[in-house]
Amino acid sequence: MAVISIEGLTKRFGEVVAVDGLSFELDQGSVTGFLGPNGAGKTTTLRMLLGLVTPTAGTARINGRPYRELTAPLRHVGAVLESSSFHPGRTARSHLRVMTTAAGLPSTRADEVLAQVGLERAAGRRVGGFSLGMRQRLALATALLGDPEMLILDEPANGLDPEGIHWLRGFLRHLADQGRTVLVSSHVLAEVAQTVDQVVIIANGRLVTQSTLAALSDRSRQVVRVRTPQARVLLPLLRAQGIQADLDGHHQVAALGTTTETVGVAAAAASIVLYEMHAERSNLEDVFLELTTGQGATS
Amino acid sequence: MTRLINAELAKLRTTRLVYGVTATMAVFGVLTVVANITEAGRHGQAPLSATSLPGLVGAPATMLSGAALLLGILGMAGEFRHHTITQTFLATPDRGRVVTAKLVAYALSGIAVAVLTLTVTMAAALPWLHAKGLAVSVLDGELGRAVGGTVLAAGLCGLVGVGIGALVRNQVAALVGVLVWAVVVEGLLLNLLNAPSLGKWLPSAAAAALTNPGDGQLSRLAAGLLFAAYGFAFALVGTRFVVRRDVT
Repeated sequence: MAVISIEGLTKRFGEVVAVDGLSFELDQGSVTGFLGPNGAGKTTTLRMLLGLVTPTAGTARINGRPYRELTAPLRHVGAVLESSSFHPGRTARSHLRVMTTAAGLPSTRADEVLAQVGLERAAGRRVGGFSLGMRQRLALATALLGDPEMLILDEPANGLDPEGIHWLRGFLRHLADQGRTVLVSSHVLAEVAQTVDQVVIIANGRLVTQSTLAALSDRSRQVVRVRTPQARVLLPLLRAQGIQADLDGHHQVAALGTTTETVGVAAAAASIVLYEMHAERSNLEDVFLELTTGQGATS
Repeated sequence: MTRLINAELAKLRTTRLVYGVTATMAVFGVLTVVANITEAGRHGQAPLSATSLPGLVGAPATMLSGAALLLGILGMAGEFRHHTITQTFLATPDRGRVVTAKLVAYALSGIAVAVLTLTVTMAAALPWLHAKGLAVSVLDGELGRAVGGTVLAAGLCGLVGVGIGALVRNQVAALVGVLVWAVVVEGLLLNLLNAPSLGKWLPSAAAAALTNPGDGQLSRLAAGLLFAAYGFAFALVGTRFVVRRDVT
C-alpha cells in the first residue's frame, strides 16, 4: 500500500517553477533515496508533503491524507528538515519537552530519544553550543519523539564530518530495519546508496526515474578507453563494427558496450599503434549524473 | 488548546528572555518608586499625599506595556528567526490554533509580568508612605483602577506583539517598526491631520489612556475597549498571514 503518494505536484515561486508536475508513490516499509542536484526541487517537494508549503497544483498525501489533516502527525511522521531549527538558548531536553507538550506525548519520551541518538550527556546543555553533528542528532531525536512509522529526512548528511555520516548511515539502516518507511533526500547518490533500496530521481522539478538501486546499477556500462596517436583512424573502424565510440581528447577514444579484446583485435587488423588501453565500469554516480544532467539539457 | 498554550508557556520558560525582562521591570519599578518619593515636593513635583499611592505603584505602566509587546513580538517572530516555526507547525499543522495559543500565552505572560512588577512597586511604596505618616490604603478605588488598567494594557500588548510578530516575521524590523510608530508616526499623523482630538483614537494613545487617563483622552473603559479592538485586529490579520504563507 502506498503510504506516500504525490500526484501532479507543482509549485511556482513567482516566475520560478520549483516543482513541475511531479508524481510518485512509496510503499510502506520502503527505504527510498530522493535524489537530484541542488535546486532540483527536493526540499520544496518535502515541504509540500509536510504541509509547510502550499502546492500551486497537485496533491501530496501521507496515508491517503494531506499532512495538515493528520491527527497527531508526530505519531505518524518524523521529519528532519534544517539542521539549525532550534532556539540556541534552550537546552536539548527542554526543546524536546516543548515538543512532547505540543504533540501530547509523554514527557519521558524526551530522555528516551536522547538516549537513542547518543545525546543523553548533552541533555542539559544549551543547543547554541552544539556542534553540527550534535544538532543533527537532536533533529533526529525530535523526529523520533512520536515513534513514527515514517521518517522524512532532507539532506541529513549535509555538513557532517565523515564520522557523522558513518553514524547517520548506520542509524538510518537501523531505523529502516525496524520496518519504518524512510524517505531521505540527497544530492549525492553515494551518500545514500548503502542505505536505500530504491531511488526517486528528480531534476528541474520533474521526475527523472523511480527505480530500485539494482535496476539503476544495471544501467551502468563498461567503457573501454584507448590511448593512440591514430585516434581518428580507430574511431570509424570501431563505429563500422556497430560500437558506440567517441573521441575523448586528441589521442584518446572511449568505446561503450565493448571489450578490450574486441578493440585490440580491430586495432591490430588495421596496424594501429596503441599506447594504452583499459576498461572501466561507469559507476552509479555516473549514471546519476547522466540522468540528471540529461534532464537539465532538455528544459 | 490547553496543551498548545502550555507548550507556548514552556517555550517562554525554557529561555532566559522572560526572566531578564521580569527582573529588569522589577528593578525599574523600584527605581521609579524611589525617584518619585525622593523627588516629591521638589522641582515642581506635587508633594506626597494620601492619594499618592496609585501614581507611585502604576508608574512603570508604559514600560510594562513595552515589555509585554517585546515578549509577544519575540515569541512569534523569534520562531521565524530561529526556524523553530517548522517544528512547531509539524507538531501542530493547524496554524490558526498555534497562533491562538500564542495569543493567549503572551497575553497571560504580559499580565504575569505586570502583576509581579506592580507587587514589587506596591511593596516598596506602601510601607514608605506609611513611614512618612500618610494614611494610604490598598483598598483605594483609584489604586484598583490604576493596577487593573496597567495589567490589562500589558495583557493586550502581549496579544498585539504576537499579531505584529506574525505580520512582520522579522523581529528586528518588528521592534524598530513599533518604536517608530509610537514615537514618530503617531505624532506625524496628528500634525498632518491637524486634529489633536483624533489623536486619542490612535493605538499608543489608547494604551496610554488605559494605564493613565488624562485630559482630552478617552476614559479607561473606552480606551480599554479600543485597545482591545486594536489588539484583536492585529492578531486576526497576523494569524491570516501566518496561516497562508509558505514556511520555507
